[in-house]
Amino acid sequence: MNIIKDMIQTKYFKKYFLLTILFTFSIKAFSQEDGAKIFKQNCTACHVLGETKLIGPGLKGITEKRDKEWLKKWINNSSELIASGDADAIAIFEEYNKVAMTNFYFSDEEFEALFAYLDAPPVEEAVVATQAPVIAEEKMSTSTQLMIVALILLIFIFILTSVKNSLKESLGQETESVTEAVKSNILLFLSNTFNKLFVVLFLAIIILKFVYDAMMGVGVTTNYQPEQPIAFSHKIHAGDNGIDCNYCHVSARKSKHSSIPSANVCMNCHASIVEGSIAGTTELQKIYDAVGYDPDSRTYIEGYEQKPIEWVRIHNLPDLSYFNHSQHVTVGQLECQECHGAIEEMDVVKQHSELTMGWCIECHRETEVKMEGNDYYTSMHEKMKQKYAGEKITVDKIGGLECGKCHY
Amino acid sequence: MTKAKKYWKGLAEINNNPLVEKLKQNEFTEEIPVDEFLGDKEISATSTSRRDFLKFLGFSTAAATLAACEAPIIKSIPYVVKPDEIIPGIANYYATTMYDGHDYASVLVKNREGRPIKIDANKSAPNARVQASILSLYDSSRLKNPLINNTESDWNTADSQIISQLNKIKQQNGKIAILTSTVISPSTKKLIQNFTSFYKNVSHVEMDSISYDGMLEANHLAFGVRALPNYSFDKADVVVSFGADFLGNWLNCDYASDYTSNRNPESGEMSKHYQIESALSLSGSNADERIQIKPSEQSGLLTNLYNALSGSKADSRILKIVGDLLSSKGKSIVISNSNDVKVQTLVNAINDKLGNYENTITLTRPSYLKQGNDKDVATLIKDMNNGNISALFTHNVNPAYTLQDSVSFVKGLSKVSLKVSTSLYNDESASKMTYVLPDHHYLESWGDANPSHGEYTLMQPTIAPLFNSRQFQESLMVWIGTSDYHNYLQSFYKDIDWNKSVHDGYFTKNTKDLKVSSFKSKIESFNLSKNTQIEFEMYEKISMGDGNQSNNPWLQELPDPISRACWDNYLAMSAPTARKIGVTNWNVSNGALNGSLVNITVNNKTYKNVPVMIQPGQAVDTVSMAVGYGRESAGKCGNGIGFNAFTLGNGDAKIELLEGEYEFAATQLHHTMMGREIIKETTLADFIKDPQSGNHKETYSTHKGKQPADMVTLWDEHDHSTGHFWNMSIDLTSCLGCSSCVISCHAENNVPVVGKEEIRKSRDMHWLRIDRYFSSDMTKELSAKEKVSPIDMYSEMEEPSVNPEVAFQPVMCQHCNHAPCETVCPVAATSHSAEGLNHMAYNRCVGTRYCANNCPYKVRRFNWFQYSDNDKFDFNMNDDYGKMVLNPDVVVRSRGVIEKCSMCIQKIQKVKLDAKKSGKRVKDEDAQTACSSACPTNAIVFGDVNDDKHKVQALKKDPRAYKLLEHLNTDPSVFYQTKIRNKA
Repeated sequence: MNIIKDMIQTKYFKKYFLLTILFTFSIKAFSQEDGAKIFKQNCTACHVLGETKLIGPGLKGITEKRDKEWLKKWINNSSELIASGDADAIAIFEEYNKVAMTNFYFSDEEFEALFAYLDAPPVEEAVVATQAPVIAEEKMSTSTQLMIVALILLIFIFILTSVKNSLKESLGQETESVTEAVKSNILLFLSNTFNKLFVVLFLAIIILKFVYDAMMGVGVTTNYQPEQPIAFSHKIHAGDNGIDCNYCHVSARKSKHSSIPSANVCMNCHASIVEGSIAGTTELQKIYDAVGYDPDSRTYIEGYEQKPIEWVRIHNLPDLSYFNHSQHVTVGQLECQECHGAIEEMDVVKQHSELTMGWCIECHRETEVKMEGNDYYTSMHEKMKQKYAGEKITVDKIGGLECGKCHY
Repeated sequence: MTKAKKYWKGLAEINNNPLVEKLKQNEFTEEIPVDEFLGDKEISATSTSRRDFLKFLGFSTAAATLAACEAPIIKSIPYVVKPDEIIPGIANYYATTMYDGHDYASVLVKNREGRPIKIDANKSAPNARVQASILSLYDSSRLKNPLINNTESDWNTADSQIISQLNKIKQQNGKIAILTSTVISPSTKKLIQNFTSFYKNVSHVEMDSISYDGMLEANHLAFGVRALPNYSFDKADVVVSFGADFLGNWLNCDYASDYTSNRNPESGEMSKHYQIESALSLSGSNADERIQIKPSEQSGLLTNLYNALSGSKADSRILKIVGDLLSSKGKSIVISNSNDVKVQTLVNAINDKLGNYENTITLTRPSYLKQGNDKDVATLIKDMNNGNISALFTHNVNPAYTLQDSVSFVKGLSKVSLKVSTSLYNDESASKMTYVLPDHHYLESWGDANPSHGEYTLMQPTIAPLFNSRQFQESLMVWIGTSDYHNYLQSFYKDIDWNKSVHDGYFTKNTKDLKVSSFKSKIESFNLSKNTQIEFEMYEKISMGDGNQSNNPWLQELPDPISRACWDNYLAMSAPTARKIGVTNWNVSNGALNGSLVNITVNNKTYKNVPVMIQPGQAVDTVSMAVGYGRESAGKCGNGIGFNAFTLGNGDAKIELLEGEYEFAATQLHHTMMGREIIKETTLADFIKDPQSGNHKETYSTHKGKQPADMVTLWDEHDHSTGHFWNMSIDLTSCLGCSSCVISCHAENNVPVVGKEEIRKSRDMHWLRIDRYFSSDMTKELSAKEKVSPIDMYSEMEEPSVNPEVAFQPVMCQHCNHAPCETVCPVAATSHSAEGLNHMAYNRCVGTRYCANNCPYKVRRFNWFQYSDNDKFDFNMNDDYGKMVLNPDVVVRSRGVIEKCSMCIQKIQKVKLDAKKSGKRVKDEDAQTACSSACPTNAIVFGDVNDDKHKVQALKKDPRAYKLLEHLNTDPSVFYQTKIRNKA
């Protein structure tokens, strides 16, 4: 019995178990994944896997609707197929305003993978199934742990009291209930003045600590996660689709602001991607309402009065402190995640760091200045190497803790 | 034994006055109006008990406390379609041209997120008014909609009515007049021609608020060119100015940099500058020698000078000038501020005799900045009064304010049937017109300018129009049935590279020199006047100019460099004249300056209750008053301040002393250095002998013998060996006191305006002040020689001379490396940086003001109130438009904290960051403070002393370099260069 229990609890078992599950899925998913890649790279600009029309038709159930050989011909060179007088091909060509589809020339293996993907569109459940147990395992909070410890201690008290009682009983002494026992012990403990003082001090310190923490927490909005006017998911964009942060937050490298992208940046992709994977068209429609775009006809509405999108700002530094993104991103070469957390995993973004002065300073004390290869620092670096022989040259050594560097 | 003593509070009590008895019974001397309150029926009808009240109070306090814990939701609103050129957080710069009918400058406009926030130099150095014009853009007193008969209307209505009336006038062959300021825009001139050929009987009249007609006419008569010459002060070894304030406002040209470029003591050569004037001007205070005359004496002295150049006997006052002029023929300039053709002809004759034309004075490539014609204006007003003018269009002028005889202009106006004004404000003239059409500010306009022969600058909009305005040129086009001035302008300059020229802001054309005939003119002789009357002369202040920007609070609060007073104009009078009349100035208990009031009558026009300021340097028996004040329709900030000196005109004055006193707001209350070496100075001759002259360090007696202050120090030195070490050098020889840096600092650092009352309490917020010192007749040497007692010596030292030497000294935070402020701050809100700067963290400051007390330079400013969003300080920071000028990189300080010069740390940080990003070292010219970049004469040099190639390193080692109050051993990062005067 115990051995089996041990096995369940060991991490090895969990790993193997999960791997087996993953493996069983992945055998089937192997070609499908390839297909997904091909689809994303080549087709998404004009097609979706639903029924909506983009530039071209929606591709839901296309492999059942059309013969696979016909599809291969069409994808490889549609104009040739139209020229050959194929009735279906001509009909499609006419329907989509005579816009010829790009020729792709996929290999047979690629076609197989693509069709396999189109046959069975992504299995969302599989991902959820593999992730669920992991989340449950990792998320045992400190309070639960403490409660378990308390429970165990309580059980100990019960066991010990009952042992004591049974011993007393055997000796013919008076037994006492658990509460009585606890009470008498506490009284015994407190009868000592030193112990009393200790308890008072202990409680006072705890209370003070709570008060201090509460005061220090005023204005600290870690985990602030407001609802945004558009349910934009960083997980889908930055995580799943791997779009570089700088694609939308252009000015993070150049300016003090990382700047929320203007709606025209969204339209670079969403002029053609008119259906989202979570909310369908409802959220995207909000962008179209802002810029004045008709997703059905795929045209911008003439003379539309554009309405800016009012995002809720999450990271609010007070006016009295100056912060510059480009200083940290370009010069300091920090990754966005170092301050903003795993943005690429967040559906709804929340504030990851405290953004307190202590937090800033701590980082400035530990972070080494990237001086190598930057001519601005060259002469300074030589002198500093002599001055701080052997030590790391951290941000505070070049004045990163001075008041006027952030407050002016 | 002891008997309880009885004390009476006064005789009334001992006399058993019943009133005393009654007062003893009552706690309050006056009855509290309880009945009034309780008698309110509504209150007694409510069921709210005292308990309920306390409950409400408690609840609302708790609710407010809880609500305060909740962070407010802050919106972040990006563009829908972001313009390519805008990156939020990064400034864009646009080259454009400033012209408001008075001042002209080719400028560079700093834009943040589409808002212009700062003006920098492009081709010419902008003066204080040009710098401040950025705030006038955001003036909410500007016209917001077209007005027809003083009611708001729209452009279509106004246009259709104007066009129909114009057509009617055209049919009746009525006379149409366009009255404008000098038009320096060639395309506008062409448009006016188009307008003229469309409506036929049109005359275009140009007028300048400060007229230069005499000079223009004199040049026309003598050389056949009706234009002002361009002066090359950099080539002139001798400059003789008869009243012309060429370093201040004369011709509104940027002569300062040329002037100082020929006054470089290191080369051993300095131009010799004589100023012969009555009121102390900026030029006069920088002159090597200043001669005081009455305005009426000018013509006689010029005649004397002219004759003396041919060998006749010179007046004793100008004997030296004659010699100097004769020894530097072709390398001198003689100028005069007279608006009399005959006097200016005499000046031309003198310059011709000295061979200055085409050497230091160029008429073949003249300046076109002033073209106003007094005769035309007079004819127009006469025609108006005769009912001969059917339509009047005005642009960029305010004749009802700037004309001496504004009354007849206003009278004539009533006889004109179509009255149209294109203006920024509903000013004194516009408000008397039927149609008042809001004009674009120059920062919203397209345009061109031809300031001098062959030189062109372009104007481009830097912001979309804030109000429903339209520029004058566009209006002209609409009225003749065409449109779009922008396209018109572009096609007007078909032969240039348009994009490049707009980008640069200027271009030159290879135009031929003008043909100038050789000097021929009848020269009239004037006798030296023996006028015994007190003479009045009007002058222009650096801050206010002709008053067209008088609603600009920055300019109103800019202290006059000479009198150091702001928010006012007044009668300036010399001390002997004041004594004669009985006028006095005195300081009240808080130090503020009060003065006597007088009635003054000039040219039969009387102003009553005019305050008098005793002004050292003002010639005896002359008085002067600045124009630009006494506005009635300038806006909330400029209205009702001072008197309109334009309407007085120059002439003899009758002055009558009144009872009563006037309260001035002056930022400097002490005028002499009292024998201390605050400004160190020497003469050129001494400097050539010993470069260290005038700059000898004070020493302390120690056991090692005499030691300078820095050798007897208790301070631990900061380590400035690595990184930057920012220092600033201020050359007192080339600082002319023009105050351009002060306004530049205001714009860059969000310095608040506090108003006259606060200034009087010495609560001015200027981070940078320009101290002005007058010399005194009494010196320590003199007192030793003449055995004057120390008490008499010091009291006499307080009195400036009647014709004093003047010195200017810009003082900002000196960024001491042994900072007295840092050691006394109880909360470490001010601390020292490794780069040699004294930092000030406003959010840490608790407002003890220990630092301000301990600062020997008195450069720390305390925010006595919140100056933003406060109706008590109704200036630009209490105005949604006015706030748009704020620099987003600098905090707007709140009440209760100290602030001071940060050496534009936001600019330093930006330059460093740019260098780090591009992986290059900081370039010399990039690291600039607001004051150093605004200085037209490069008197202020800012840079990194640790950079071997930077100029500031050499300047720090210069024998002229000294630190202010060096004996205190504060070791400032700011240092000064000894002032050198070119006199014996």
